[in-house]
Amino acid sequence: MSISERFNRWIFESWQVSAEGLGLLRILSSLFILFFLMPGYGTPHFNFLGGMPPDFYAPPPGPLMLFDQFPSPAVFQWVHTILLFSLIAMLLGYRTKLTSIITGLSILILQGFIFSVGKVNHEILIAVVPVVMAFSNWGAAFSIESIRRGHDTKTESWPLSLLALIIGFMMFTAGFPKILGGWLDPTTQATQGHLLNQFFVRERQAMLAEFMVQFDSVLFWELLDWLTVIFEIGFLAAVFSPKWFRRFVAVAVLFHFSTMMILNIAFLPNFLAYAVFLNWDGIYQNNLRFYRRLTGKRGERSKKRSALLLSAFACLLFFILNRLSSMDLVLRESDLTLHEVVFLFFALFVVMWIGLKKLFVEAEY
Amino acid sequence: MTKKTVRTIFIAVMIWLPLQYGIVGIVGYYHSEPWPAFVFPGFKSVYVYEDSFEIEQSYIEVWTEQGEQSVRLLPQEFFPDLPLSQVPGFMRTHFLTDEEERQFSIQAKRWLHQQAGRAAGLDAAMLDIVLEVNYYSHHPHGLERDSVAEKMRYTINLIDQDEHQRTI
Repeated sequence: MSISERFNRWIFESWQVSAEGLGLLRILSSLFILFFLMPGYGTPHFNFLGGMPPDFYAPPPGPLMLFDQFPSPAVFQWVHTILLFSLIAMLLGYRTKLTSIITGLSILILQGFIFSVGKVNHEILIAVVPVVMAFSNWGAAFSIESIRRGHDTKTESWPLSLLALIIGFMMFTAGFPKILGGWLDPTTQATQGHLLNQFFVRERQAMLAEFMVQFDSVLFWELLDWLTVIFEIGFLAAVFSPKWFRRFVAVAVLFHFSTMMILNIAFLPNFLAYAVFLNWDGIYQNNLRFYRRLTGKRGERSKKRSALLLSAFACLLFFILNRLSSMDLVLRESDLTLHEVVFLFFALFVVMWIGLKKLFVEAEY
Repeated sequence: MTKKTVRTIFIAVMIWLPLQYGIVGIVGYYHSEPWPAFVFPGFKSVYVYEDSFEIEQSYIEVWTEQGEQSVRLLPQEFFPDLPLSQVPGFMRTHFLTDEEERQFSIQAKRWLHQQAGRAAGLDAAMLDIVLEVNYYSHHPHGLERDSVAEKMRYTINLIDQDEHQRTI
């Protein structure tokens, strides 16, 4: 096989998608962004930024330098409203490609101004996912546009390859500076140093942080330094094999989970991107089987109804979790939120379940 | 979209990703990290100093007129509306800079006065920006702070609109 053929195969045949699976992914991604990943912390945050004097406007090098101060709170609200409408349109599958792109761009604009206080948070994947997935035709099923006669039902899997490439490269950019910074030097324990920094300076002292601060094992901390670097650098190589990429995504879930437990950093935006690589067609089929068993209905309509029911259930669950999280009932002394903890535990459960299932199924053969 | 167009997009992205990473590195070195960029945080720093850990901590001390009363606050307490993840970066960019970069307009001083009133409940006359270095090391009974050194301290006068430095 020639290089060109291999390249084509990697782009177009690495990932298998279906209209129904992508439809479910679109709905759940929209809900996830809507309830948990909207940029900023609402009106008080926008009022605070909009009321800051120009002295404190420090845009990162890039398009935000075209402005010389923060926009007024009204501008924040306008962009936020545009984002809200486009996100709801994306959720409902109305002009999905266009609204997905508008969603991504609105997120970028809001994030850009929020980061202009002098600190960039690395949450660009929240914007990248809808923009890239817009080209997969993820509005082909369970959408307003799918009701229209003669709508386009052809789905594309190459956006997943593109997203994998972007994630893999971004992971590499996290690992490479660590090598230059001395993470692999056996006389320094960088992870332990970061723990102390997070613990004392940022007062991230929830979960296992306090226990780990007192845990003094050079071997353990050095091993964490090495594993982190190997994992982050290796992600890029895994991009070219779907099997290995999924394995790295699974390790990423374990990595973020341990980071949350030790450093109290959840990095929830990444999970939106990781979720794209789940077997969504399998999820759709399993959900359909469950719905049919539950209701006894086997007609064509059960396909849409099963997806609708799952979406409504997710919407309700996300809403409750969002409300509970905003009540600040638990983790009051931490900037970790309830929903972050719940999602990371859930992701860990999913990864372990898939891993065990694969282990047993493979063992049977 | 045709297969040829998609292939072209992939080739362009594969060229762009390392190129923008190079730009991020260069611009980041001389200015600050560009945005938007396809990079994750490197957490490059290793906070190790000989056999101990060196952790920097900044504070904002709020003073009333003639230094009658003072309250020492963590930056996240002084700026509670900022997300915690952005507070150290905000301090680094605006307060823990070189002497010549510490210029605050009257508007900025008024705003800081308001923030101080909200956070400390005082009618602030001046703010002291303090940067300390804490040295931690492991002892038989656990991790302990061995010593603290003041690395930077300067005053922002909120009333005279005149900023002057006390000690560095």
